[in-house]
Amino acid sequence: MELNFIGPACAAATFFGVWLGHVSVRKLEREVERIWIPATLALVLGIGLEFASFQADSLIVSAICGILGVTLLWDALELAVRQPKRVIKGHAPANPNNPRHARILERYPTATTIDWLDRNPRGTPYAADELLSVKDELK
Amino acid sequence: MNWFGFLIGTCTLFIIGLGFVWVIRGERYLGYLWWPYAMSAGILLMVLSLFVTNDYASALVGATGASLVWGSTELKEQAVRGELGWYPFHGRKLHPPLAEMIKKWKAPSL
Repeated sequence: MELNFIGPACAAATFFGVWLGHVSVRKLEREVERIWIPATLALVLGIGLEFASFQADSLIVSAICGILGVTLLWDALELAVRQPKRVIKGHAPANPNNPRHARILERYPTATTIDWLDRNPRGTPYAADELLSVKDELK
Repeated sequence: MNWFGFLIGTCTLFIIGLGFVWVIRGERYLGYLWWPYAMSAGILLMVLSLFVTNDYASALVGATGASLVWGSTELKEQAVRGELGWYPFHGRKLHPPLAEMIKKWKAPSL
């Protein structure tokens, strides 16, 4: 029986594309002040990979370029729009050393330096006053 | 012009998008302790994709498997999001077989 390596190649491209994108978006959005620079780079690279996918003769190379291209395009959107919104809402921790985040912390009372997700699930929802006391403890 | 990569990339974007949906809904009603089952199903699909002769089907089965594995690593954080009130919390979750044993394992989070 002949093995088809397109599937595992697509699986690897999807997993690593999503994983690296997820980690890089959080790290870059936290550290970089002018977020439009990495967002534009991701956009250009994503479009470039899509063009490369059209040009590739090999199906595996074409698929890898196509998948990594769309994940980079998604990362551009995450960098420019979605992750900053999470920081404003307090769903992602703000970095007070980043001037852009410092402005967010000043302007939006919901923004925080606390990483709320850095905990294990406990099985019951948090009450509002409980969240306030956790916030005070971690400050 | 080779359309294979573009079409597979576009379908993969939808598969990843569906991943958000099943992680949110799955965690809400089933709980994060299902992560080993989701991860195993994903790995199984990735291996299965090796034996699918149709190139499009093999690519989509592989991408779906990878999306399941990724989703399994997101379930723990999603459980915390529900508890924090960022998503609706459902108290009566359907626990998986061997739940007590799985509780002792460290849930992956990337």
